[in-house]
Amino acid sequence: MKQLCHHLAFPWFGMDIGGTLVKLVYFEPKDITAEEEQEEVENLKSIRRYLTSNTAYGKTGIRDVHLELQDLTLCGRKGNLHFIRFPTHDLPAFLQMGRDKHFSSLHTTLCATGGGAYKFESDFRMMADLELHKLDELDCLIRGVLYLDSVMSSGPSECYYFENPADPDHCVQKPCTLENPYPLLLVNIGSGVSILAVYSEDNYKRVTGTSLGGGTFLGLCCLLTGCSTFEEALEMASQGESTRVDKLVRDIYGGDYERFGLPGWAVASSFGNMMSKEKRESVSKEDLARATLVTITNNIGSITRMCALNENIETVLFVGNFLRVNTLSMKLLAYAMDYWSKGQLKALFLRHEGYFGAVGALLELLHPS
Amino acid sequence: KAKNCGSQKVFHSHVMVATNGSCCSSSSSNAFGSSTVPSGSGTFENMHHLHRGDDAECNGSPAKRCRLRRRTESVRKHRPPFPWFGMDIGGTLVKLVYFEPVDITAEEEQEEVENLKSIRRYLTSNVAYGKTGVRDVHLELRNLTMCGRTGNLHFIRFPTQAMPRFIQMGRDKNFSSLHTTLCATGGGAYKFENDFRMMADLELLKLDELDCLIRGLLFVDRVGFNGHPECYYFQNPSDTQSCVKKPCTLDNPFPMLLVNIGSGVSILAVYSENNYKRVTGTSLGGGTFLGLCCLLTGCETFEEALEMASKGDSTNVDKLVKDIYGGDYERFGLQGSAVASSFGHMMSKEKRDSISKEDLARATLVTITNNIGSIARMCAVNEKIERVVFVGNFLRINTVSTKLLAYAMDYWSKGQLRALFLEHEGYFGAVGALMELLKTTEDP
Repeated sequence: MKQLCHHLAFPWFGMDIGGTLVKLVYFEPKDITAEEEQEEVENLKSIRRYLTSNTAYGKTGIRDVHLELQDLTLCGRKGNLHFIRFPTHDLPAFLQMGRDKHFSSLHTTLCATGGGAYKFESDFRMMADLELHKLDELDCLIRGVLYLDSVMSSGPSECYYFENPADPDHCVQKPCTLENPYPLLLVNIGSGVSILAVYSEDNYKRVTGTSLGGGTFLGLCCLLTGCSTFEEALEMASQGESTRVDKLVRDIYGGDYERFGLPGWAVASSFGNMMSKEKRESVSKEDLARATLVTITNNIGSITRMCALNENIETVLFVGNFLRVNTLSMKLLAYAMDYWSKGQLKALFLRHEGYFGAVGALLELLHPS
Repeated sequence: KAKNCGSQKVFHSHVMVATNGSCCSSSSSNAFGSSTVPSGSGTFENMHHLHRGDDAECNGSPAKRCRLRRRTESVRKHRPPFPWFGMDIGGTLVKLVYFEPVDITAEEEQEEVENLKSIRRYLTSNVAYGKTGVRDVHLELRNLTMCGRTGNLHFIRFPTQAMPRFIQMGRDKNFSSLHTTLCATGGGAYKFENDFRMMADLELLKLDELDCLIRGLLFVDRVGFNGHPECYYFQNPSDTQSCVKKPCTLDNPFPMLLVNIGSGVSILAVYSENNYKRVTGTSLGGGTFLGLCCLLTGCETFEEALEMASKGDSTNVDKLVKDIYGGDYERFGLQGSAVASSFGHMMSKEKRDSISKEDLARATLVTITNNIGSIARMCAVNEKIERVVFVGNFLRINTVSTKLLAYAMDYWSKGQLRALFLEHEGYFGAVGALMELLKTTEDP
């Protein structure tokens, strides 16, 4: 297989155009010979320089340097894998740049996945004379997950879980691997949520999904608190108290609902206190942000748990950019899986969160299935 | 005749003992104060009064003798004394069912104590109580026979927030002197137990809300809605033009998936009247819809929220599959019109500035409803049940949600699942509580 992709022209990209974010992975070769460098066309060189000497692009593009994978061997070439993201909203600017840099003259295939690969196919063609090789987002997701977990890297383990998730003082991240991962329940939390049951690398099914995802959290937060970005929303949530906003079991029962094992601290009705004018006036924006986060997260956890039960799967892997810099949600999910399943289910997480689709797309470029 | 009321053997022996003058009541009630009998069905109290009645008989007035005779008859027919109430104290609303006897004889009327009469008059001659109490007249069950008496069953609701006032009223009307058992279910039966005791000297007989829900539901479906079916479904739910409401009954209702949408949601798998399990629940319920709507639109009541929702367009607020894919996501059968991310457009300032409060209300309704539908469907598949019954006051005057649920069940299951609804929506818990008081099924 390595022999096949030797002939593939640089640059090597994988792209995932999602509902909210575009995820881009770029392979920067570090083993370029003097000869190769000499004949490298100008625009290819300039693309390489532009991407690797910046960590921010335009107003909204960001390179997640902490996620960079160094000294990776792909297709017989050694180099660094870079992880870049920008809002889907700014795709036109990206296309413009592709046009200005004469990307189309490089004659590379642009492997793209996510809904945007379909939605923007003609824009790529019209605006930048680029042909997309469209790939299914879930195929790419799985492929990317399995690859990154298996990569021998000197850095930290890709996969991890939380020990003592319910105890803030003793809750700690612990590394693990996805050895013998099957069957696996894969929960992808992006703008919306897809839940997959994965039986082997080539055998999976989309069990279900929910439209209450990361986009819901951000959308509701913006409306309720006036914030504008995901980072702001999370910052507020970290300072709020959701129990002022939610109606708990104890607010209705005066304690536990013992008969059905519902502890008094469990939420009976999310935002249930907000029908009271008095209570509305007594909560802060931070409380509202927190309640939104908790509500969306717990709903995903609940649906996930039902799927795990239905599918008879004990290992649950959560990915997607909703979990980016969002330790609050990860811990909540870890706790919920453990608590409501009485320890039967285990929640796992991956460092590269929302980039797997893009990685899978890159892999398709290098090793077409 | 009264064969369905309670345990005959036990009653007979108690009555006999009482008329012999010896009191073997295990009740530790004092004088005419509240009873401390935990399983109060009213029978021990009757017996106690019987005992006193005996003593008083020699010197009693005709009215007193009449009262005694009526109580004896009552006990013989295993009936608790009036008034007959069933109460369900939920997270948002209190549901009260009241049985108004219409077969009261002149004699009975004469000896009826004043506060009982006043309660009866107050409840039946008003449709609104205080600022927030409402009697749902359109739900009244007329000429119903329960426990050998004929009467009308009334359906009353008020916000749980107004409970202190209700208890106060019970105190002002000297409810405790009527010595009836107040059968109550819902979380509030536990939460307010002390308040009832302290403020109004009333003892609640606490019942589990899900037991009552099932009992009440099966009862109302059996007796019907004034000659009409209680249960209905939607034919052609996927077609807005030809979607039509159709009556049905719950013949051979088991197994059924029962989805109770109140402040929060409980989902039960019911295998028989006495065999069910709580499968799961979700905290995204009616309380979430109302709470979020109040925050997002400035509305204050459920009715206002629904009114706004009926005029809005949620697709301005939600990110649909076609907004992400440019069309359908064919590979996994997701139509372009399906919602990919609820409120997903609201992260854009431009879009936030372009939508209306009505759009937000609609999006909130659709989001909550579809989430419940999705979870219900997963349960139905897992429990291998095809019939899904939706109840609870979230569906009160909420045709948008009932149709959405009917559609979702049908569409996502490719016609395998059927959504059913019931006219008395949120009152089944209270009915079940009343039935516990009477410990009866309807008379033939």
